[in-house]
Amino acid sequence: MVIKVLSLNLSLLHNEVLLDIATFLARRWTNNSKVQVIIKNQKVPITRPDKNQITLPGPYHFPGTDFQRYRQWRIMLWYEAMRLTFCSKVMSYDHIFGFLLNTLETKRAEILGLRSWRGMEKEIVFNEGISWLSKPLLNSLYGKHKVAEAFSQYFLTGSLKGELFGNEFSRVQKGAELAKEILDHTIANDQGTEAIEQRIPELVRILELNSLASFPIITPASKVGFGRSVDEKGLLAEIEKLVKRKNLEPEQLVKKSKEIFEGREVNAEFDALVKESKRSENKGQEGIENLGLTVPKDVDSDESQIYDLDLIQRTKSQFKHWKTGWHEKHEEAGDEFDPETFVERLSRTFITDFKLSYRSKVAIVLDHSSSIEDSEQDYKRATVALCEALKFLKIKFGVYAFSTEAGQVRCWIIKPPNANWTRIHARRLAQIKALGGTPLAEIYALLEPVIRSFKPDIVATLTDGEPSDYDAVRRMVLMYRRMGIRMAALGLGRTLNAAVNISQNLQYLEYEKSLAVSMLGDIPKKVINLMQT
Amino acid sequence: MRVKPIVCDMAEIYLDWNDSLDVLTRAYSAGLFTIIIGPKGTGKTSLVRQFASNMNKELQSVNFSLRTRESHLIGSKTLDKGEINFVEGILVKSMKDGSLLYLDELNAAEADVLLRLDEALDDRRQVVLKEADGQVITAREDWSVIATINPLSHVGTKELPPQLLSRFPVRIRLEYPPENVELEIIMRHVSNIGDSKLDDVKRAIKLSKSLRDAAAVEELYYSPSIRETIAFTRLLNTGILPKKAAEIVFANAYDQWGEVEFRKVMDMIISIFGD
Repeated sequence: MVIKVLSLNLSLLHNEVLLDIATFLARRWTNNSKVQVIIKNQKVPITRPDKNQITLPGPYHFPGTDFQRYRQWRIMLWYEAMRLTFCSKVMSYDHIFGFLLNTLETKRAEILGLRSWRGMEKEIVFNEGISWLSKPLLNSLYGKHKVAEAFSQYFLTGSLKGELFGNEFSRVQKGAELAKEILDHTIANDQGTEAIEQRIPELVRILELNSLASFPIITPASKVGFGRSVDEKGLLAEIEKLVKRKNLEPEQLVKKSKEIFEGREVNAEFDALVKESKRSENKGQEGIENLGLTVPKDVDSDESQIYDLDLIQRTKSQFKHWKTGWHEKHEEAGDEFDPETFVERLSRTFITDFKLSYRSKVAIVLDHSSSIEDSEQDYKRATVALCEALKFLKIKFGVYAFSTEAGQVRCWIIKPPNANWTRIHARRLAQIKALGGTPLAEIYALLEPVIRSFKPDIVATLTDGEPSDYDAVRRMVLMYRRMGIRMAALGLGRTLNAAVNISQNLQYLEYEKSLAVSMLGDIPKKVINLMQT
Repeated sequence: MRVKPIVCDMAEIYLDWNDSLDVLTRAYSAGLFTIIIGPKGTGKTSLVRQFASNMNKELQSVNFSLRTRESHLIGSKTLDKGEINFVEGILVKSMKDGSLLYLDELNAAEADVLLRLDEALDDRRQVVLKEADGQVITAREDWSVIATINPLSHVGTKELPPQLLSRFPVRIRLEYPPENVELEIIMRHVSNIGDSKLDDVKRAIKLSKSLRDAAAVEELYYSPSIRETIAFTRLLNTGILPKKAAEIVFANAYDQWGEVEFRKVMDMIISIFGD
């Protein structure tokens, strides 16, 4: 048997790439497009059904090879997605009541989840196998903690790791029987979390525990420590045991176990994610710190509030006219003679069709000073719509923003030109708060080396046209224009008067093309004028 | 095993799950033109064919694209045996015959083409053929027009000019049907689905719905249609494994947007079908 051990460093699996796939999978598994996934440095997952939110630890919290860690992380995501789908409440694991309720709910979510996602069965077996290896030995635990952990092991897997003494085993056995009965009844009667919650006190009594007693959280990471490798032979043996116990095609026990151990399908996904992480590594971000640019680091902001799907569709639709289509032009020679032009004695009497196709590069600069605070979300929505439309047309673009954080002006790199626009970039944008002054000229100066290297055809600035130093901005705009860059500006005003003021300011600032709108819905039709040559 | 191409009567196949046929019939009797709006593969063409068959009307169809020109609709002059003749286009032909004109994917057409259509669709129901010595064509009383448009998110579509939209005062929205209706539609298109395969077909419908949802919120670039679930079922009937059939019909389409997109869809397939 060949045991594939990947030597890839898991740090190569970037959080952004993980978040992208996790968000996709969680939304599809839950059939809920509002689900938000967050990766945080914590021991246990936290799922908030009321907020459609799943918070997971990173894959490095799990033992094993990088691939095995990814597999465990993916199955944890599935369990939490199922919890979000079927459970109305998720309690904290750090007290007995919450621990017992969550244990029963884990099993219920698994049973119900497998009805729709039967392909997860093998991954569940793998997960049970590998997590069994890092489960605590009961002999090493004491008192109530020992009984609660033993109940969890026995109820979820049917086995105990270590020994129980005295009447402990009988309590655990009775508890598991009651838990099974509660679960069967709840599922058969199509009931939910509340039905289970009501019966947890019964379970607490049988196990002779105290509902409110605190419970130390045990996770693979806290048990085995970082980077601990897994005994591959032990894991395979454990998987074989589980395959036998679950009666999964018993005639092909060894073959099936090997397949589960190897997890080829998930491996192909893991490899693709590692490749993607490598591809996006340092893309357009080489030495950005030296240039004074910063990448927004938080990955827990909710980008869905700046995704205006209607605005995106309409912007896309307008941009299609810009990118593709046919355009009639009068020429001195051509395909079709135009008698009217001839009668009017105009020189270009022939009509020729030209196919429109635009190959250009765009840089978007977003002003996030406190003066735009009132329209902050609208500016973000407009930027996202613009980015989605540019991505749709496969136009290369970079997005930069500036604001003030902790008293310091920061120029943020939202999307480097060479990276593909994803929701993760929108998340970067969502977390920037409109604050501070508008040192637009300084930001243009800061971006100059980046812009010189990217060589965009257009720099589109979304601003309210109230920079700290008007003359300095005029000078910088003219300097960019001398570089052959088309300087365009777009302003959003809350009212018509505000839009008119912004428009006047932008004209004064020497932008080649500028416009201001008072309604977000006007952007799709108008923004195209900014882009056209 | 080779499966014979299935030739069947549309009238027996179309499932009118949202009473669109009734709306079409009423619009026709009231002398109103209808536009059907919906994503690809929701049965817009099948609905129109079914309606034409019910009404016993001849159907003249034109499928619009960027390259559809005025001459396709109006007609053009040809030189035949030394004589210059005007060959009528489909619009002129259908106006004269009083047949049912089906304008498929109307919002993929260029502005100049739409302009000539607008001329024919207004209350006078006539068109002046500048291409044929100013001849005026007036439509027969029983002439009728049905158009379809795809949502603007579809590649190659444009916003229909308001004046043209107003020529079609009856508007039918055709969305993807609920999962049980989609299953029924598939069963009308694919005969002999064994009970053992029915679960897999249901899973494919679920997968399709999931991918459509993802495309609707910009997470994927492509949204599969009912055609794909029908194709999946036909492949399944040849004995191919469900996961393989799903990979061929659904996942491979996403490979053109990169391996990660492909893998995302494969993950859904594996989660649903297993190995």
